[in-house]
Amino acid sequence: VKVEASLYGDRKVFSVSAFNRGIATWLQRLPTVWVEGEVTELKRHQRWQSVFFTLKDPADGACLGVSMPRGQFDGLRLGLADGDHVHAYGRPELYAARGEFRLRALSLERFGLGDHLAALERLKRKLAAEGLFSAERKRALPVWPRTIGLVTGNDAAAKRDVLAGIQTRFPPAHVVVAETYVQGPRAAGAVVEALRRLSEVPGLDVVVVARGGGSFEDLLPFSDERLVRAIASCAVPVVSAVGHEQDTPLCDLAADVRASTPTAAARLVVPDLRELHERLDRARSGLERGARRSLESKVGRLEQAHERLRRAPALLVERRRAGLEHAAGRLRTLSPRATLNRGYAIVRADEAIVRSATSVESGERIEVEVGDGRFGARVE
Amino acid sequence: VSSEPTFEAAQKELEQIVQRLESGETGLDEAIALWERGEELYRFCLGKLDSAQGKIEQLASRVEASKP
Repeated sequence: VKVEASLYGDRKVFSVSAFNRGIATWLQRLPTVWVEGEVTELKRHQRWQSVFFTLKDPADGACLGVSMPRGQFDGLRLGLADGDHVHAYGRPELYAARGEFRLRALSLERFGLGDHLAALERLKRKLAAEGLFSAERKRALPVWPRTIGLVTGNDAAAKRDVLAGIQTRFPPAHVVVAETYVQGPRAAGAVVEALRRLSEVPGLDVVVVARGGGSFEDLLPFSDERLVRAIASCAVPVVSAVGHEQDTPLCDLAADVRASTPTAAARLVVPDLRELHERLDRARSGLERGARRSLESKVGRLEQAHERLRRAPALLVERRRAGLEHAAGRLRTLSPRATLNRGYAIVRADEAIVRSATSVESGERIEVEVGDGRFGARVE
Repeated sequence: VSSEPTFEAAQKELEQIVQRLESGETGLDEAIALWERGEELYRFCLGKLDSAQGKIEQLASRVEASKP
């Protein structure tokens, strides 16, 4: 672009407009760069095509005006507020109409994620040192919760998932919902307040804090020290279902139980009524079977003992009888009768056994005993 | 059985009696006495089991009746 100047003698003079245009054109040759600073005086209006703010150098307070197309700014959803640190990507520009120099930003990124992470890590260590996350502090969830507090955003899918999960599994449970901000600078305080309100609900058994996934910044309130402490000191056990599996906001560590999703939280917090019924039925029929089996085995054992009892005395008598017979047999063998049966005889005189022929005299009366009896005789 | 022993005590005594009888070391008179005692214990145990069975049936029918 050729910038026309008027000549006054040998003096070359530019109009303001021409000067500005000339500078603007020259500036356009500069490359696109990243500039770091702190956002101040953020101005955004529906009517305006651009969003304006000033980037301030925190070191010495140097300032740089920045403009950015509003659609682009909104599309980034940074939720910027004064004081936030950003990296702005753009090129220098002169607003020709006013001769104002500024940065025309094409993109913006929050800067300070590292700072946030470091602060978070410090807070985590501090609270851990206090024992706020220790396993001994974890309370068991109630088995039969009657009243369940739910801290969640007002139209969040998280809320719907938790409610649906609880209703399906355990219809008798009563859920008290405390709607609150779950994002932005007011979220932490609002969640603390919601927890306080819930703690006043009579008969409250357990609290679920549910929030769907979000960016690191979105979830930052759930690592806020006030919120984390409020969860740790909650009068009833707390289930934290914040963000996705890979996010670990500090509230997850302080809660008694962590759930990976809102649906999982519902599963953790109430039992499955139908499954409980089935288990109970199984146990009940097992009970009857067990009682019958035990009775049967006792009857069997008793009958066996009785059978043996019945047989034992007869066996005993039988054995005695056999013993007797045996003894009788032996007695018979040893008695002289067997010998007599073979043809021998016992001769007695005056009841004394005659053992010598010379001990009897002729005419003496003797008695002869043979196998089957006795008879008298006279010696010749 | 005079002083209501438990089922288990009665059963134990019965089984000890059976063992003694089967060992054959008892006198005849003692064996008869033991047998009588054993029969008494058997009747006692049987009565206990019968009443247990009765209770089981009663409970089972009540459970059956209360099923939805």
